[in-house]
Amino acid sequence: MWETVAQAVINGLLIGGIYALVSIGVTLIFGVVKIVNFAQGEFVMIGMYISFFLANQFGIDPLVSLLVTMPVLFVIGVLIQHFLIRRVLGPNDMPQIFLTFALSLLLLNLALMLFTANYRTVHTSYSDEAFHLGELYIPEAKLIAFVVAMALSGALWVFLHFTDLGKAMRAASQNRDVATLMGINPNRVFCVALGIALALAGAAGSLLMPFYSAYPFVGQVFVLMAFVAVVLGTLGNVIGALIASLMMGVAESLGIQYIGADSGLIVVFAMLLLTLAFKPTGLGGGRAR
Amino acid sequence: MMAQGRRARGLLWLAIGIAILIALPQVVKSSFAIDIFIRILLFSFVGVAWNLMGGYAKQLSLGHAAYFGLGAYTSTILQVDFGISPWIGMVAGGVVAMLASLPIGWLCFRLRGPYFTIATIATAQALMLIFLKFRDLAWGAEGTTIPNLGSAPLMMQFETKAAYYYVVLALLALGLVITYLIERSWMGYYLVAIGEDEDAAEAIGVNAPKIKRDIYLISSFLTALAGTFYTQYIYFIDPATAFSFNISIEAALVSIVGGIGTLWGPVIGTVLLETTSTLLQSWLGGSIGGVQLTVYSLILMAVILWRPTGLMGVATEAWQRHVGRKPAQA
Repeated sequence: MWETVAQAVINGLLIGGIYALVSIGVTLIFGVVKIVNFAQGEFVMIGMYISFFLANQFGIDPLVSLLVTMPVLFVIGVLIQHFLIRRVLGPNDMPQIFLTFALSLLLLNLALMLFTANYRTVHTSYSDEAFHLGELYIPEAKLIAFVVAMALSGALWVFLHFTDLGKAMRAASQNRDVATLMGINPNRVFCVALGIALALAGAAGSLLMPFYSAYPFVGQVFVLMAFVAVVLGTLGNVIGALIASLMMGVAESLGIQYIGADSGLIVVFAMLLLTLAFKPTGLGGGRAR
Repeated sequence: MMAQGRRARGLLWLAIGIAILIALPQVVKSSFAIDIFIRILLFSFVGVAWNLMGGYAKQLSLGHAAYFGLGAYTSTILQVDFGISPWIGMVAGGVVAMLASLPIGWLCFRLRGPYFTIATIATAQALMLIFLKFRDLAWGAEGTTIPNLGSAPLMMQFETKAAYYYVVLALLALGLVITYLIERSWMGYYLVAIGEDEDAAEAIGVNAPKIKRDIYLISSFLTALAGTFYTQYIYFIDPATAFSFNISIEAALVSIVGGIGTLWGPVIGTVLLETTSTLLQSWLGGSIGGVQLTVYSLILMAVILWRPTGLMGVATEAWQRHVGRKPAQA
């Protein structure tokens, strides 16, 4: 009995690490630039396709292609901030929401046109390997993904707290006007925030590739999880998003175990609606850090 | 005098437009063309319903498929299981949608801006999952076909496509009249005030939660009527079509591209987007998936970056330049 529960919790935590990379990106952009990036899931998809093609054409292991996807998506993020998002920052909600929404639609449908709706998988030497802890079963690829995801999250935390640029980003997220008065260049900080957030999404894509299929709609799964985790963990709060993502992973996994295989999304929506109904400021109580 | 002349001219144009729209199916006999006209009128109507809340009050919902689907399912269940005419079912569907909008609004209106949008997406998706999962409620994922009774106007089934055309034309007219009346009432001004700055509107005494709730009721009622019509028109219903995310997207898109918060914006936007999509489909043969939404998203990005007021904004600017150049005649 307890093995089943423990196994479900382990599965949930492992996939929750990937959710964390996506939702930390969403919450970082929201905290610093004050926009919601609807296209975050599509950047996970792009990361997956880059890893897939590198593995397929050149035999590069998806974990190694992390070194390609992260810089490439960092650059894409900077370009998107500089050429698109910068132009819609203002008091008006509509352009901000629908610009990244249009970007999401565009990337998704371009992928559909270029790569078709087929599922693409990469098989690695460790794809089918697993550790056994008594009755428990820990897939190697997922464990690697989880450890790398946690390491990247930790590195981001160190960056935000101990470097000048990181401190500038936190300052800009707390009070943009005062930060600007202190000599922080907002556009530069925003470019870096977008770059880091997209690099994390790209990393999520590469880490997923050994055990998950790439297809044009794959980002939608992760972005929905991320939005719920970001609301649950209080908007703009990086640690909150991390903890909430792990909780979401566990809740989804327990839902699949005890309610039914296709009930993962129902659990997610139920959690979102319950959060909105009873704690709309998130579990952190409205503090953005 | 001047205002009266402009008003008379406006009425004349409106009368000409109505006459053309009524005569259209008598002149154009191709059922392919009438099918496109019906799509344009239907999505204009959904856009008009969305625009009441999304456009005037700037509550940017991407979950209107929830009400489209509820309208479609209510009338279909009443018709298939109880033999009740879809004309009654249509109104019943509207009422069900209004009732559903109360708890959904209660949840979603707690959030502002992008998070309101996300919450509306989640509610529509959750409803779709409910209709997929609970087979006893409504046929599960397979959906059902509507029994074909041949020519039965009382059951909203017609032999010619032209009849469907007139039904949806009447729906669009209803939506436009309601928008026109609201635009000119105190409610219209309250909505625009909320859309511009909700805190400021509340500070000067606008009861924002009540106004938002009321406009959501009207908007969801109208959207549900479109759902019933669509199901009757295609003789088929399943959760993936009735609650399709594309309906939510199209409702918002046509309004933004045409001109958000304007009477004619959704109509103009639909004409542009649907025409583009039809031309693309006949050109590419519809063989490649994703082309239509790729083009839609490019148009949407172009509008947001260069003309956030939409095509109506472009037209208004052109008109003002025209009037400005000839002040003596005006």
